[in-house]
Amino acid sequence: MVRKGIVQLVAIGVVIGIAVTLVAVLFQWLPTSASEEFDRIQDIYWFATVMSIVIFSLVAAVVVFSVWKWRVPPDDDAEGPPIHGHTGLEIVWTAVPAILVIVLGIVSAFVLSENGKASDNQLHVRVIAQQFAWKFEYGDYGKAESGELVLPVGRQAEFTMEAVDVLHSFWVPQFGQKMDAVPGIETKILVTPTRTGDFAVICAELCGLGHATMRAKARVVSQADFDKWIQDQRA
Amino acid sequence: MTATHPEQDVQQYPAHFEPPHGSTWRLFFGPGLVRGAWMAGLGFLLGAGLVCLLRAWWGWDPVWNTEVVLVVGAMVVAPIFFLAGIGSFDYWLYYIAGRPTRPEDHSGHGAYSWKDYFRVNTDHKVIGIQYLVTTFVFFTVGGLMAMFFRAELAQPGLQFVDSQTFNGLVSVHATLMIFLFIIPAFAGLANFAVPLMLGAPDMAFPRLNALSFWLLPIAGIMFVASFLAPGGAFGAGWTGYAPLSEGQPLGQTFFNMGVQWAGASSIMTALNFLVTIITMRAPGMTFWRMPLLVWANFTTSLLVVLATPFIAGSQFFVMFDRIMHTNFFVPEGGGYVLGYQHIFWFYSHPAVYIMMLPGFGIVSEVISSMSRKPIFGYRLMALSLLGILVLGFSVWAHHMFVAGMADWLRVPMMITTLLIAIPTGIKVFSWIATLWRGRIHLTTPMLFALGFVTMFVIGGLSGIYLGSVPIDIAASDTYFIVAHIHYVLFGGSVFTIYAGVYYWFPKMTGRMYSERLGKWHFWLTFVSFNATFFPMHYIGLRGMPRRVSDYDAAFGDLNLFISTASFVLGASFVVFVYNMITSWVRGPIAESNPWHARTLEWQVSSPPPIFNFDEIPQVVGGPYEYGVPGAQHAILSPTKQAAAQEEVHA
Repeated sequence: MVRKGIVQLVAIGVVIGIAVTLVAVLFQWLPTSASEEFDRIQDIYWFATVMSIVIFSLVAAVVVFSVWKWRVPPDDDAEGPPIHGHTGLEIVWTAVPAILVIVLGIVSAFVLSENGKASDNQLHVRVIAQQFAWKFEYGDYGKAESGELVLPVGRQAEFTMEAVDVLHSFWVPQFGQKMDAVPGIETKILVTPTRTGDFAVICAELCGLGHATMRAKARVVSQADFDKWIQDQRA
Repeated sequence: MTATHPEQDVQQYPAHFEPPHGSTWRLFFGPGLVRGAWMAGLGFLLGAGLVCLLRAWWGWDPVWNTEVVLVVGAMVVAPIFFLAGIGSFDYWLYYIAGRPTRPEDHSGHGAYSWKDYFRVNTDHKVIGIQYLVTTFVFFTVGGLMAMFFRAELAQPGLQFVDSQTFNGLVSVHATLMIFLFIIPAFAGLANFAVPLMLGAPDMAFPRLNALSFWLLPIAGIMFVASFLAPGGAFGAGWTGYAPLSEGQPLGQTFFNMGVQWAGASSIMTALNFLVTIITMRAPGMTFWRMPLLVWANFTTSLLVVLATPFIAGSQFFVMFDRIMHTNFFVPEGGGYVLGYQHIFWFYSHPAVYIMMLPGFGIVSEVISSMSRKPIFGYRLMALSLLGILVLGFSVWAHHMFVAGMADWLRVPMMITTLLIAIPTGIKVFSWIATLWRGRIHLTTPMLFALGFVTMFVIGGLSGIYLGSVPIDIAASDTYFIVAHIHYVLFGGSVFTIYAGVYYWFPKMTGRMYSERLGKWHFWLTFVSFNATFFPMHYIGLRGMPRRVSDYDAAFGDLNLFISTASFVLGASFVVFVYNMITSWVRGPIAESNPWHARTLEWQVSSPPPIFNFDEIPQVVGGPYEYGVPGAQHAILSPTKQAAAQEEVHA
């Protein structure tokens, strides 16, 4: 009898697990990565997703199974068994989540540190954010500046953020990197583009009336195209 | 819509308050809303006069500065005069002035007609209902705002409002939901239930309790009234980040000051709960015999008392920068912009638990009594609340992973954030273990409690994603955050508030709500809630930032779907309101203990007698001893029972 119940519970859990897994894989939840940093972030994303599917399926299965199995009519006066706890179980469900979140924490800290490592051949871009426009200065190439962000593929770019008026946030969804531009201090973020294409720089921190439209074009191009473009900017 | 008490109660306490009818003098000069109204007007004139006088004296030009006049006149002096007018301070002022006071005066205690809900009332049960009705009024207002901006967001581009109005709607929506609904609705439920659960006749400080309630509508009116200010409502989000908030139009001041009143209300209530729980437990009610709702409100109150002054400070600094030209957050003057976020989140992260722990308490009560089983792992349940309390103070900067703060702070804050999953996990697993082999009664409060458990797990798991710094860097400030907070605060907090309201409805009103409408309400809410908020995870990760009035046309179809679902969610609330009003007026009379619950509030009549217990009960056991033969939580009339036993022995 007990064994039959366990089998039913597991079956419910598996059904819920499959359904949730389908939701996780049938839709493309993340934009296709265009940077090395986002590739690493996506690995943790999948780690967290597998963990979430298991935990959600477990909880949902117990709730559904219990209600299905032990629901009684409103006029039922009986009481359930006086189970006050179970030390072993309580230790398990303290320890297992602890291990899971610590592993996730270690993996995350590792990725964070990898995503913050400067490479030798960096491209330096100064990002100037003001209501409601972006400006990009290429200090490595004299006084080159542009309202459009152009990056060579495969070369790490270091963005140094500066805000003229209020907080803004530099975000290209396909790069997976984001950093606020803060008045009074400089902030930094690294992006190593992995594929060419057209993207958008989006302001992600509420900055006033034009916040929704504070966008700039971002293009990742080959090194040769980049060299040509930067020459045009200097001219 | 009255909860009248049985006739004998009135006779038992003949000194009850006589409404000042018939006499015009008493109408205008006796404590009440009329005196409150004219005194508020008088207070505004006094405050405004003082400001203009001082400015003229110092030769400042212009003499009339609308922002300063409003802050002093309308947002400080007028509310204080209003509170004096309705009689909140009468007793204390009499005492200060040396006039005779009656410490045991119960004329302002209890409700004998609907009018008694519209005055300063010292009965914790009346105050609880005042809180709940007020908060649901603001829930409606905040919800309508959400409907309005969801209509705007149904299509890309601007259709109905301009961006300032849009930002105002979003900001006021969040502010009302947090400060005028979730936090005080829990305070209302706890106000009603906690003294009863402790076996106490009332809260420790009934007059302070009444005052804390009346501060609340003042805050709410300020937030809503900001729409009338020139330039529109405050539009820097409910987070009001500097320096954006410092350059906002006049409406921002309404937020700065409204938060002070709401915060003062929270702090006073929390102090009252702490003193009540520490000193007013019935004999035998040890800490390890307290129901988990009491434990939850104990920890919540500690959070409120310790954290709330920080948001008060953050808003004062912004206001000083705005009107006194200080430089707290002005970099040109040596101010530190990130300082605002640190101070703000040092309150506002604990505030997330202020908005969650009371719900944990409610769900523990509901799941135990609807499963007719003891709560699983009672002590660990209480300890995990304390664990969340302590950890809750060490995670604030996880809201600032992309804010540009010191890099070294990110990993420690990530670790503490992820550790909170452990006590939270203990609670979730203990709830589902309580269900195991129970006798499950799938009533409306139970449906909401189980809906809460599953939805809160989703909100908690998306919190795990956001706790991991690299994922947060990608997902922060997007619709993923909007989805996460609504799973936590709607699927979490609001579901528990619904569970609590249905659960204690028969105790509060003496009538039963309609179970059929309650189930309709649950299923409509549950389905439309998920349809509204689940897709937001997707559009957020795909690239839609939060707090935008316009967006990439690629997200048009999903936003239309979300908006449509949100209207169904809004409609489901109508079912709830209809059920509550009609059941309160003419629902079937409720039994004293329809749920077979063991805690003390269910052992007295519905609604409870005016001073709760004829005699202070003697607590003899735990609060959830289902299935234990002969177990008792409390002896209701200890002296009577002792006398009866004497007789048997004689």
